[in-house]
Amino acid sequence: MEFLKRFAKRLGFTLLTILAMSVLIFFLVEIMPGDVAQTVLGQSATEESVAALRDRMGLDDPLHERYLRWAGGFIRGDLGESLYMRGVQINTIFWRKVGHSVVLALTALLFYVPLSILFGVFAGVKEGKAPDAIISFVGLATMALPEFVSGIILITVFAVGLEILPIASIIPIGENLWQNLDILVLPALSITFVMFGYVSRMQRSSMVSVMKADYIRAAILKGMPRKYVIFRHALKNALLPTITIIGMNMGWLFGGLIVVETLFGFPGLGSLTMSAIKTRDIPLIEACVLFITFIFVFATFTTDMLYAFLNPRIRYKRGDA
Amino acid sequence: MNTYLLQLKRSPRAIAGLAILLIWIFAAIAGPSLLSYSYTEMDMNNQMVAPGQEGHLLGTDALGRDVFSRIIYGSRSILTIALLTSLLSSIAGIIIGFTAGYFGGIVDTIFLRIMDILMAIPPLVLAMVVLGILGNSTIVGLTIIVSIAFTPATARVARGALLTCKSTEYVDAARIRGESHIYIMFVEILPNTIGPVIVEITARFAYSIMMIASLGFLGVGLQPPTPDWGMMVIENKSLIRAAPWTVLYPSLAIASLVIAISLFSDFVSKVMINED
Repeated sequence: MEFLKRFAKRLGFTLLTILAMSVLIFFLVEIMPGDVAQTVLGQSATEESVAALRDRMGLDDPLHERYLRWAGGFIRGDLGESLYMRGVQINTIFWRKVGHSVVLALTALLFYVPLSILFGVFAGVKEGKAPDAIISFVGLATMALPEFVSGIILITVFAVGLEILPIASIIPIGENLWQNLDILVLPALSITFVMFGYVSRMQRSSMVSVMKADYIRAAILKGMPRKYVIFRHALKNALLPTITIIGMNMGWLFGGLIVVETLFGFPGLGSLTMSAIKTRDIPLIEACVLFITFIFVFATFTTDMLYAFLNPRIRYKRGDA
Repeated sequence: MNTYLLQLKRSPRAIAGLAILLIWIFAAIAGPSLLSYSYTEMDMNNQMVAPGQEGHLLGTDALGRDVFSRIIYGSRSILTIALLTSLLSSIAGIIIGFTAGYFGGIVDTIFLRIMDILMAIPPLVLAMVVLGILGNSTIVGLTIIVSIAFTPATARVARGALLTCKSTEYVDAARIRGESHIYIMFVEILPNTIGPVIVEITARFAYSIMMIASLGFLGVGLQPPTPDWGMMVIENKSLIRAAPWTVLYPSLAIASLVIAISLFSDFVSKVMINED
């Protein structure tokens, strides 16, 4: 019951956030300087053709009508028509790019989650000793680097130096992502660089505090194998904050994807957003940014629910007293 | 103050971080007057000269511009903007967060909801879209927009810091004395939350560097011919095989600066938190 109440409350707030963001994004893009129709048709367009296009796009309608039309289309799954690529429905290009980004994000998760948890646990168990100092230094250093800096270092080593991975993440025409899985490695590693610091630090500190708990000391003193105690008893309890951090960073990861995808030329949501901004393609900018926000909000919501579900203190709040 | 110095002495990491940061600050202030090349000087006879040759310490780029000079000049803008943004966003955060936390009730609830909503968009995406839309970023524009993007986060920290000492006796005493709200917030409470505030400002400084470098890299930061580290990386990216130094050295400049600041801010947060 407690859980359901929390669920409903968070869901309501999540929807409210998305609504507020959609208004914000819409008005933000509205203030873009210059006449949209003029931009689309170019400087040589006649006044009549500009006026005709304005009329066709409904640019002269009142602001709230345009917002409602846009938001309504969004809810029905119609993202509108691209301005830069005249006549192209955004839907036809958008979801494929989002798919690529999701695959990239999942690959990155696959890299950094086990890696950071493992090193975090190791550092936590060896608290204050040399391995701990080295792991936390590496974490602190890589966490501070912007994604494109770690990307450049990775490119220099693996693509230019060792020549074992491609320099850019380009899918040749006529092929799909699955035939070019090697293009995922360096972008995913660049993200791993940044995320490793956050996640391993969190894992380390929760491990340190759990290892000091009485039940762990009891288990060790009872003579249970140390490995068993660490992985079965301690890790189980020390994972909760880590899961929260990973979830909370999901949306942030999509922000970071913009930088990584731009560096590698990876055909995903990030580079689509960037090119939309460069070409001042308003409907496309709106679609991209709203979608990134959506992922961010949804990831936070899911994390919150997962946390509540995994944490017995919240799940069984009634019986807590 | 002496205890801080003593603790600093015991932390080689923090000393290293501080030293590198000071070197960069020195480079930004005095560097340009000591350079033998200007950052815009193009030398078409010496394109993509390798590091160490023809008097170019870090080589030249595709237009024959000296990479070392451009990095030194670039340190000016990035340090200036990062310093300003971390201060500005912290001040704005303190004012907003303090007001919300101090008055509590409905003011606080509205504040928290608005901050939650604003935090639903990653700061980098927000700054990128706004700068991209406005076009032609200047130092002032960049500073303001990045500060705005950071303020929800700093305001939350400030609010949290205020709540820890809102219901103390000295605040009650001031209230009974009939001091104004502003006096209580900024003369009574602020000095007692200075620890978390300093921690926030130093951490924010590192974030700002990351953010400004990333915005430059995405092409929405400072516009040419002003040298910008992030921009140098994306400009020369296609040369990474032919002239790797044009990409690698600006990247390393960013790396050394952010790592140095993080090491130092990690130390600051340890010192400030242990003390309380």
